[in-house]
Amino acid sequence: MIKSLFIHLAVKEFIHIRRDPRSLLILLLMPLFMMFVFGYAINMDLKHIRLGVCDLNRTPVSRDLIQTLVASPYFDVIQRFDDPRLTEGLFRQRLVRAAVIIPADFARRLAGSQGATIGVITDGTDANSATLTQNYLESLFLSRSLSGDGMGLPIHIKTRIFYNPDMESAHFVVPGIVALLLIMIGALLTSVTIAREKETGTMEQILVSPIRPYEVILGKALPYLVLAFAIAVFIIVFGHLWFAVPMLGSWTWLMLFCLLYLFTALTIGLLISTLVSTQQVAMMLSLVATLLPSVMLSGFIFPIASMPRPLQVVSQIIPATHFLKIIRGIMLKGNGPLELWPSIAALTAVGLFFITLAIWRFQLKLK
Amino acid sequence: MKRVWHLVKKELWQVTRDPNMLRVIFVVPMIQLLVLGYAITTDIKNLDILICDQDDSAVSRNLVERFSHNEYLTVKPLPCRAGQIEQHIFRGDVLLALVIPEHFGRDLENRESPEIQILLDGQNSNTTAVALGYCNRILLEFVRDNLAAAAGRNPRLARSIRFIEPVSRTWYNPELKSVYYMIPGIISILLTIITMLLTGLAIVKEREIGTLDQLLVTPLSSWQIIAGKTIPFAFLGFLEMGFAMTFGVLWFKVPIVGSLPLLAVLAAVFILTTLGLGIFVSTMVDTQQQALFMAWFFLVSFVLLSGFFYPIENMPGWVQVITYINPLRYFIEILRELFLKGAGLSVLWPELLSLLTIGVSIFTLATVRFARRAAA
Repeated sequence: MIKSLFIHLAVKEFIHIRRDPRSLLILLLMPLFMMFVFGYAINMDLKHIRLGVCDLNRTPVSRDLIQTLVASPYFDVIQRFDDPRLTEGLFRQRLVRAAVIIPADFARRLAGSQGATIGVITDGTDANSATLTQNYLESLFLSRSLSGDGMGLPIHIKTRIFYNPDMESAHFVVPGIVALLLIMIGALLTSVTIAREKETGTMEQILVSPIRPYEVILGKALPYLVLAFAIAVFIIVFGHLWFAVPMLGSWTWLMLFCLLYLFTALTIGLLISTLVSTQQVAMMLSLVATLLPSVMLSGFIFPIASMPRPLQVVSQIIPATHFLKIIRGIMLKGNGPLELWPSIAALTAVGLFFITLAIWRFQLKLK
Repeated sequence: MKRVWHLVKKELWQVTRDPNMLRVIFVVPMIQLLVLGYAITTDIKNLDILICDQDDSAVSRNLVERFSHNEYLTVKPLPCRAGQIEQHIFRGDVLLALVIPEHFGRDLENRESPEIQILLDGQNSNTTAVALGYCNRILLEFVRDNLAAAAGRNPRLARSIRFIEPVSRTWYNPELKSVYYMIPGIISILLTIITMLLTGLAIVKEREIGTLDQLLVTPLSSWQIIAGKTIPFAFLGFLEMGFAMTFGVLWFKVPIVGSLPLLAVLAAVFILTTLGLGIFVSTMVDTQQQALFMAWFFLVSFVLLSGFFYPIENMPGWVQVITYINPLRYFIEILRELFLKGAGLSVLWPELLSLLTIGVSIFTLATVRFARRAAA
């Protein structure tokens, strides 16, 4: 009897979804479009850095050095100038991101035993790019000074890269986008649905029926779990086929963990819905609570290991953190539950934590 | 004018009546600023590395020492017999491994170019590239010092080495604090959420519950209704921005070198674009839920294609073309240049012009659509 009540609620929710084909279309097409554009757009390697070069030395040696910069794929030497005081203006006009200043005594000092200095100035407005630019330039000069004059480096460095030997950004980014889109869709859908029932007053009608609170929650969540899962399969397959992201692990495991991840996304949505009373606030809260943390704290782009300690702790309660390890592990490395169990356990714990909180808040409200 | 004022008052009252809404608008963003301001450090550091010193000579130990003392890499003491290295990388124990071969020290001394192997987990291509850069840097410095020592004993060698010592400086943000760069970005995202989403939702909600029709039969013109629906959220947006900026300046000590009145003008133009989009979204949909999805789509696209996280220069040409219609792209650029460099209108006019073009077009389009839908 009670079981059938819960199914009725789920069926009612399904009908709601089906009755609104425009929402359904938006929900399927938008993630696809986003995956397509972001898969191409998101690329962290910095190439073609606009560079200004001020050569005060003007010798074959300095011209030779500039030639190295011109030949590097990382830099576009777009400005040559003779007066170092012009650097400021170039930065202000945003013509260059970095400037190299070759001092007048460069060639002479290079021939001496002390070695020559070279000026590197970067525009710190974009701190990330500035750091990368500075590193590129310093390494370039360092390796040139050691391998010049046909000597070759006295050691030979051999590099082997596993799992993504061509260093394709898309292989890393596509699973990240899956994680980002799923958590947002999952949380948004659920929180808004329940808030809508509250807003229109139908929640009270459901609550006075003999159905139990957890059944209300399950009945509301299940249809969206199915919908979000369909979206998940859709975009993962698309990423796999279009961007040729490898799938070294098992599809079955990936799908299973996708469900687990969606479940935690839904629990966040449920929790939000118990905190608010209108759709507007539910939407605002879901957006604000999922977008930036999932992008910035999950390891989507920035490695968690580099964050300050307290934030590493915070990142652990963000479901995307764990799902990212799982989906990247399965797709790119061929990991299975044997290697991934810490992330799986953590993701489950996060989901249970949120659902407990949601049910507790829900019952609090009832009283 | 008075009619518009009444609408504005009503709307503001409606938003602020709900304490939850106030919390979402003002408290949650502050928490985010606080947390995320610390989140992104420019340096990619604490990367786990496994070092297999198969030589174990004085020279190789010196090299290992250099890796241990590097602040960006954390040497993990793990066993590394044959085959185990790949296992450690597979399980994610370490991100990279360095193998120093047997007789490394002897071969280096004899100039026989010993081979150092670096094995990396390439999943995160960006981090991998950075990690490889760190390794190369350490190895190069090791070689340099090694050569310098050898050159001291051998004058012929000394003549053939050409040392270039880079002296680096960073302007506008000498300590390369990423907070200076994150705060403006986060402010602009919050501003977009409030102005675009709330405006769109406010209109759709009235339509959903039927009060929009009531408004439309009053002597109010479409323009007045739109003004009444946008002014309150523009006001809230400004308030939020002032709030967030004060917080950024006081807590994170973000410098604001540029002119505040100019910032206010540019922000107003930016808000014009997001409000216009909010109205535009509202004319495209029937329910709040649909409005949300559309607003969500715009928001995520704007954020990821704004140059906030990824440099726009690296995107393929056709994606770069898309970013030209992204108002957030211009506003983030404006905030950064104005905050840190103190850029004025003489530099920022292209951004202003672009924002104005986008803002006026979308606002006009949205208003026309709104009026047509109202008439229908």
